[in-house]
Amino acid sequence: MTGMERLAALMKGRTPDRVPLIVNLLDQGATELGVSLREYYARGDLVAEGQLRLREKYGYDGLLGMFYAGLDAEIMGCHTILYADDGPPNVGHLVIRTPEDILKLQLPDDLHCHPRFHELATCIGILKQESAGRWPVLGVMTASFSLPAMLMGIGAWLDLFLTGDPGLRNLLLEKCSQFCSRQIVALREAGADLVIYANPVASATFIMPQKFRDLALPWVIKDLEGPGATGVVFFNGGGRINPILADLKKNTGIGAYYLNPFDDIAEARQILGHEALIVGAINDIKLINWTPAEIDQEVARIMRVGKQQGGFAFGTQVMPLQIPEENIRALVEAAIKHGRYATDAL
Amino acid sequence: MTDNIAQLTLEVYIKALFDTDKPAALQVVQNALDRGVTPEKIVFEVIIPGMERMIGGMVSDSLVTLSQHFLAAQIAEEVVDRLLPMFAVVPEIRGHVIIGTSYGDFHGLGKKIVSGCLRARMFEVTDLGINVAPERFVDEAVAVGADVIAISSMMVHTATGERGAKRVRQLLQERGLEEKLRIIVGGAPYRFHDNMFREVGADAWADSAAEAPEVVSRLVQEVRTS
Ligand code: B12
Repeated sequence: MTGMERLAALMKGRTPDRVPLIVNLLDQGATELGVSLREYYARGDLVAEGQLRLREKYGYDGLLGMFYAGLDAEIMGCHTILYADDGPPNVGHLVIRTPEDILKLQLPDDLHCHPRFHELATCIGILKQESAGRWPVLGVMTASFSLPAMLMGIGAWLDLFLTGDPGLRNLLLEKCSQFCSRQIVALREAGADLVIYANPVASATFIMPQKFRDLALPWVIKDLEGPGATGVVFFNGGGRINPILADLKKNTGIGAYYLNPFDDIAEARQILGHEALIVGAINDIKLINWTPAEIDQEVARIMRVGKQQGGFAFGTQVMPLQIPEENIRALVEAAIKHGRYATDAL
Repeated sequence: MTDNIAQLTLEVYIKALFDTDKPAALQVVQNALDRGVTPEKIVFEVIIPGMERMIGGMVSDSLVTLSQHFLAAQIAEEVVDRLLPMFAVVPEIRGHVIIGTSYGDFHGLGKKIVSGCLRARMFEVTDLGINVAPERFVDEAVAVGADVIAISSMMVHTATGERGAKRVRQLLQERGLEEKLRIIVGGAPYRFHDNMFREVGADAWADSAAEAPEVVSRLVQEVRTS
């Protein structure tokens, strides 16, 4: 079976040969091609090449059409990205420093005209073509409620939405939300089969479920209103999401949820009912130091719970560059071994 | 009488923090002042215990969120700043800390919370913001006569990289400042590796912002008695 066939089986409520496996490798692609991160992310064709090689090398089930989270901020006007040799690029300039900056904030009408989005779209287009329907291509974006963290800094954003001027907050969210809706459409146009919608600031790690309902949920609904929720995966982005699943399910039409390593998979299934797709994630920062045996054990644990629940895919968060190659291989090997549905044993 | 008020105030204050309702929290403080509770009592029996109850539970108590930590620390810092001049006896400043996130790291929330906790615990804090070059940490520490440099990193590469705490340590060595300044580090990556703080050349680390004042206090002692 291909990754796409596994996914399709899940969507139809059938059991694939094994649990689909999503491994989010980003900066590792540059190492694969022997270029610096700066050169790598300058060109969509290079990133596509890196992603294709990584998938080929390790054998997981998807192709990741993402550069780094800060790219969203670049499209919104951030003009400096800080590159490191050994980790992901970060936003190096905050677009919003004063309330007036919110009034001035502008988003491009056509994302494809923005040079950075153009590179991303090129990358996704190549992935789509090379995949030839075998591996789902994943587009990734930051939700409107989390995007301001990269435009003004997380502290200023918390200040604004917890205690600041509601008019200003809504104006900012309005602009971010418009951007998100356009981005979902543009990612699909570029060739993304699934859109990973990352919303860490809306997670239960950041705000209480009541605040989520009042402040964040309306903007999830709004982001998806135009483009629709088909193929959208709600991604934890580093925060726990079980406490907000019921509200999301009831109000958004999202059919797939990518849990945090600290979210209980069985509990999520109970909240979501049978139809939703669940991705269970491993705490990948630990993969830096774990031995292959420890990795095997943890993967086995997650798979045991996940398979019991059905409608399940296995995933990682964003894998740090410091994870040794041998441990990535151990992860994939363990996931294939423990993810198999034992049809012959029945 | 005011003992009782302080106790009640603490409960109402914690409720306001829990609801991330800043105006309500500040109102609680004002009401207590109006009713004659001393600024000292408010700081030591309401603000600091409130902050520590909120933040101390972070890792184990999954019910408390980061927005609540953030607000608890921020309000503590603000209220202490406001009430300190009203103290009958001005408390001794326990040490001077330079804080920032390491170079290339824009995750600024942990640092903000730590800084609030330190201020509320009577440390003087100079906040250099996010994305701070190692040279700046050292230059500013020397300029303000700090005792401790505190570096927050949220990503593995900004924690262990060559432009983070490691470089700050080198600079202290090169400039002969190691007796005068201590380095404390913190942030998510350190929580995953027991010894990472040593690898990056720090003198100490703290698992949460609530524990930071005690550790920093120890470092200040070391510097001042050496
Ligand atoms: C919110 C968040 C974001 C937000 C907001 C970022 C921002 N501006 O702050 C957004 C969505 C923008 C984001 C983006 C990215 N993020 Co981010 N993010 C997070 C998240 C969910 C929370 C971070 C946070 O604010 N923590 C809150 C603080 C308060 O908690 P804390 O760090 O544990 O701090 C406590 C203690 O450690 C201690 N402490 C902290 N500092 C110090 C200092 C001292 C001196 C002391 C004593 C104590 C101390 O006190 C604090 C309070 O008790 C984490 C995951 C997580 N659960 O931690 C990922 C995480 C940090 N992000 C990560 C990554 C990789 C990124 C990106 C680089 C992704 C990418 N490839 O593009 C981007 C970079 C964006 C950019 N700026 O360009 C990774 C880092 C992993 C790694 N490789 O090292 C994490 C761990 C998620 C993951 N598992 O993949 N992120």
